Amino acid sequence: MSGKLAPLHRGLMLCATAALLFAFFVYLLYTVNLLGFPYDYDQGEGFELVDSVFFSRGQLPYRDTEAYPFYASNYPPLFHVMAAPFVWLFGPAYWYGRLLGFVGSLISALAIARAVYRDGGGQKWIALLSGLAFLSSNFVYHIGPLFRQHTMMVTFEVAAVVLLASAFPRRDKGGIALGLLLLLCAGYTKQLAAFSALAVFAWMLLRRPGSALRWLAAFTLAGGLIFLWLNLASGGEWWRQAIVANVNDFIHEQALGLSFLWLKLHLALLVPAALLLLYEMYLDRLSLYSIWFALTALLGGVASGTWGAGDSYFVTSIAAACVLSGIFWSRTLAGSWRMPGFLRGLPLGRVSAIAMLIAPLLYLAYARATLKTPTDGAFSSLATVLGISGNTRDNFYDSATYRVGGYARIGYLLSPDDLAAGDAIVQLILEADKPAMSEDAGFSLAAGRDVISNPTQLRNLHKAGLFKGEALLKMIEEREFGVVILRALFYPPPVLEALDQNYEAGRTIRMNDFDYLILYPRSP
Amino acid sequence: MPPLFTGLAALTKLGFMNGDDGGLTKRQLGIILSLLGALALVAILAIDALDFGRQGGIGPAQSLALAVAAITALVGLTLIPLGDAPA
Repeated sequence: MSGKLAPLHRGLMLCATAALLFAFFVYLLYTVNLLGFPYDYDQGEGFELVDSVFFSRGQLPYRDTEAYPFYASNYPPLFHVMAAPFVWLFGPAYWYGRLLGFVGSLISALAIARAVYRDGGGQKWIALLSGLAFLSSNFVYHIGPLFRQHTMMVTFEVAAVVLLASAFPRRDKGGIALGLLLLLCAGYTKQLAAFSALAVFAWMLLRRPGSALRWLAAFTLAGGLIFLWLNLASGGEWWRQAIVANVNDFIHEQALGLSFLWLKLHLALLVPAALLLLYEMYLDRLSLYSIWFALTALLGGVASGTWGAGDSYFVTSIAAACVLSGIFWSRTLAGSWRMPGFLRGLPLGRVSAIAMLIAPLLYLAYARATLKTPTDGAFSSLATVLGISGNTRDNFYDSATYRVGGYARIGYLLSPDDLAAGDAIVQLILEADKPAMSEDAGFSLAAGRDVISNPTQLRNLHKAGLFKGEALLKMIEEREFGVVILRALFYPPPVLEALDQNYEAGRTIRMNDFDYLILYPRSP
Repeated sequence: MPPLFTGLAALTKLGFMNGDDGGLTKRQLGIILSLLGALALVAILAIDALDFGRQGGIGPAQSLALAVAAITALVGLTLIPLGDAPA
């Protein structure tokens, strides 16, 4: 039976590969488009660049926000340390941080393919589709080529898990140490890696509790020493800025909306992943991948409901789902399932034959579910064939749409108008004879002016009761800023109230689908 | 002996304590998950019982947490009969 189906299987596999390669092509276009854009595309990119500038000068970005320029970061340091050599070579710019993120996403995809190939029994084609499936996800696509540390955290997590899944059972001490070092790197890239660390140690405890406890002690000691050093070197600001002020409100509608969207877009991966998880739970040993998938999906889903979080919080669970679904199809196609005695009567040969059609069809369905594409120019014919039209911008289709709160409202390609709008805002800063206060750091950096404040961090500190802001409010009341640029009103209420009383709207400039409100000091 | 006590006794026989370090069984994992789920259920319900001044009863986030805790406990219970198979 499988012999007769082989040509159809190959044909469908080619179609699935072509569909996922198309998704990769659009991802490349998006990346190249972003690399040439010198301003913030996603809110927060500029502040990650500012952090990198601090590290390039040998300074920490965990600072006192009560003193000028009222700036502090709440992110761990590693990604910005990685970007610091580029600051030395090229000065402050967005392209290298975006390139680092993009390369990180490619490394994650390669590690996923490697895991599927190694642990799935050497099915090369399924391994390739698993890696491409990761890059096709709408959630990965959004955040991949941004100057944000999230993608690099996922890269470290995926590399750590793939390495440890092999090294720990083999008692390979070098491999385990390297895997845990990568996990530590993930944690010092972004705090969210704690979920992966939890999964790793839960699995290690299941397999060899004594050994796991010894490795956990070493891991905690190494992580704790870095933590202590950061806190001492920053005079306690690391604890205050990155830990205490990093607690936000929980919006349950956002968590539920994003969880349903994750389910809807990735269902073709999640079903085989869940089947492998159930198989391991009841008929085999639990693999690291299964525990990683279950914990990061659950905890990432819950965490996605916090203010400021979003779809990116599911990216780690998507990587895990790609690995699990790839291993599931590899074993099914090879007919290599090990069944207990009471299930040996199952017609596995027939299942394997049917899987020759279902596996590529599900990858095709996944490619359609996660489709993102421009709909104009060279893509207009394709859009007509697929029956789609622009739904996020006039000329860009994203299967996820923008209907769910917390889903990043980005992903489309930027136009020359966006660049001109950014240049116009920079010109306004250059024309001002006083400092400029901006919600995006990129404009001040491009103008060669001080970056004043980090609005979301001031908001976090204010909510935690850790921001008085007397000096900043005094500067606003005395109208010491020549121009103020607002985008999303992220500043804490007292700052916004002071701005309202002392500044007036000048004009609005639209860039990247956001309206930037330009304020000028009110006349005395 | 009731199954729960049998399970607790099984938990005290973790291999690594005898220098074996052979890993947990399905039964031990089942007991751990059941206990964690049950403790979480009690803790979540206790939030309401102890927080007298709050209005509105169990909120959506709490309902979600209750569901997760209950599922964890149920999954744990289904693993206990699988005995000494490695987890």
